[in-house]
Amino acid sequence: MFSSLMLVSLLMLTLPIMSSIFNTYKNSTFPHHVKNTISYAFITSLIPTMMFIHSGQETIISNWHWMTMQTLKLSLSFKLDYFSMIFVPVALFVTWSIMEFSLWYMHSDPYITRFFKYLLTFLITMMILVTANNLFQLFIGWEGVGIMSFLLIGWWYGRTDANTAALQAILYNRIGDIGFIMAMAWFLFNTNTWDLQQIFMLDPNLTNLPLLGLLLAATGKSAQFGLHPWLPSAMEGPTPVSALLHSSTMVVAGVFLLIRFHPLMENNKTIQSLTLCLGAITTLFTAICALTQNDIKKIIAFSTSSQLGLMIVTIGINQPYLAFLHICTHAFFKAMLFMCSGSIIHSLNDEQDIRKMGGLFNAMPFTTTSLIIGSLALTGIPFLTGFYSKDLIIETANTSYTNAWALLMTLIATSLTAAYSTRIIFFALLGQPRFLPLTSINENNPFLINSIKRLLIGSIFAGFFISNNIYPTTVPEMTMPTYMKLTALAVTILGFTLALELSLMTHNLKLEHSTSVFKFSNLLGYYPTIMHRLPPLANLSMSQKSASLLLDSIWLENILPKSISQFQMKTSILISTQKGQIKLYFLSFLITLTLSMLLFNLHE
Amino acid sequence: MSLVHINIFLAFTVSLVGLLMYRSHLMSSLLCLEGMMLSLFVMATMTVLNTHFTLASMMPIILLVFAACEAALGLSLLVMVSNTYGVDHVQNLNLLQC
Repeated sequence: MFSSLMLVSLLMLTLPIMSSIFNTYKNSTFPHHVKNTISYAFITSLIPTMMFIHSGQETIISNWHWMTMQTLKLSLSFKLDYFSMIFVPVALFVTWSIMEFSLWYMHSDPYITRFFKYLLTFLITMMILVTANNLFQLFIGWEGVGIMSFLLIGWWYGRTDANTAALQAILYNRIGDIGFIMAMAWFLFNTNTWDLQQIFMLDPNLTNLPLLGLLLAATGKSAQFGLHPWLPSAMEGPTPVSALLHSSTMVVAGVFLLIRFHPLMENNKTIQSLTLCLGAITTLFTAICALTQNDIKKIIAFSTSSQLGLMIVTIGINQPYLAFLHICTHAFFKAMLFMCSGSIIHSLNDEQDIRKMGGLFNAMPFTTTSLIIGSLALTGIPFLTGFYSKDLIIETANTSYTNAWALLMTLIATSLTAAYSTRIIFFALLGQPRFLPLTSINENNPFLINSIKRLLIGSIFAGFFISNNIYPTTVPEMTMPTYMKLTALAVTILGFTLALELSLMTHNLKLEHSTSVFKFSNLLGYYPTIMHRLPPLANLSMSQKSASLLLDSIWLENILPKSISQFQMKTSILISTQKGQIKLYFLSFLITLTLSMLLFNLHE
Repeated sequence: MSLVHINIFLAFTVSLVGLLMYRSHLMSSLLCLEGMMLSLFVMATMTVLNTHFTLASMMPIILLVFAACEAALGLSLLVMVSNTYGVDHVQNLNLLQC
């Protein structure tokens, strides 16, 4: 009952895709069909989830035997455990709201049916990734979300920046895929399988190499420091794409992978430290970069990156369940933040620069409400959604035997979260309007209102709801000094007040020429500038020099032939005093020869 | 020395004198050079075959290969001269240009 309902729910998602060969695809109601299908799939998937919460029984569905390669048996198997059972309804709920939102946002787009088809294909591949029981199926989902991300980021392909951003996403993801394939190869060699159950049962000893590979894969897919520039660039895609892919679902795939492998990671302290430090660097660096950006979507993208770093930090302190809880709660408010920014952008006639917004507090009350609530949930204000996961993470990090530097970075990043959220609210909503007078601001479309409303309810109550209904996993730290318990709240309030004071004080000051710290933050730490130009230039010029100059020109042409001819010519110019009387020279040679033969009687 | 040896030796000497004393054409010295090579080849082959010194029987062949190379070089020099002057008279080779 449990497993068949889940399969029905997953199968339902594929129906609109398959119907695209019929005539319904050409209708203008296809997007509505897609949205309805997802809402039905969501409701259907709630039943197995509730059964799971009630009984705690995990399931593995293994149906179709695909192929056997000598000793490796590959089959289609779905793992419906704690992680996938809770993630699927959350993802479907968020996707349902985003689909409804994009009915409004992409209304005037001529290819709206194709857009919805792409979004649906993305959702299907994400579901494949999440419910995969073996690494091969996971890899299918992994690559699938990468490809759909490429197609969706480059949706407006006439724009060069969009094409560059899509290519950037693919390249950075590919570098991460190298790690994934390395992990797959290691597992194949050492545990003879790609099934997760067998890997965990065998519990191999030296898991440094595959876990490093998986960490690299997570770095690529979840935009950790080193492979992070693709995420802000991915904001070139339409807002529903940013809301779905690059905030709630695709970028958490890397974190999800690490969470899936938590039995292996618990035993490997080295990888945990690496994960912790990587997450700490990411969360701080991206929070710093978010402080001075001027594009509203980029600020929210950096906020996503920072929260992903926080999730990786949580895995680094050996709390996979908390990281998973943060994934689920983060999906709600981040998608809602993106949708609010989409509402603002569309109302201001495609204006994305926060320096040209302002005064929307009175003009768009509903969007204002949801933006403020989303930001509060993001920063972890008590008893909103973010609190249940984020505060627990900070508390656990405070009281665990961990790297103090990483912890400090995380705390600073938490206060910066509040700072840039205040910046968004201050510039976009408060003050006097800075946009053009002729506006078409409205919020009267039911698609927009209903979708944001659903996520609003989710942002407020989902944390409470989810954390009260899941079964207990790792025991959170119960006792700690008061100052530690209030640390997260204190730094957040510090961030809010500082940012508000600074914004109010400097609001009417002239912009001085930028200091170097400002430039560091605004240009994303110079990372894209350096890494997109220097290594490719070095690689290409080195290969050109070694291939054509070194081998061809020098070895084959210059070393013997040309050098000999040059040398001969130079020396002959230098030392010749002849006049070219060849016959005389030959004659003298002959006479010398004859004379010597006659005089010395050489033949005797 | 037997008569055959004297015969070949005489051929060699005649070619040598022809190489070193020629009137006007560069081509004639090249031809005499070829004659020298030919006589050397015959001398070497006959000696090797008569004394049954099989191991040295590759010497004439290698000599022939190198002779071919030098003939090619000489001809290319001739062609260079002929390109500049039209004929290969030796009296033209008094202008040194580097």
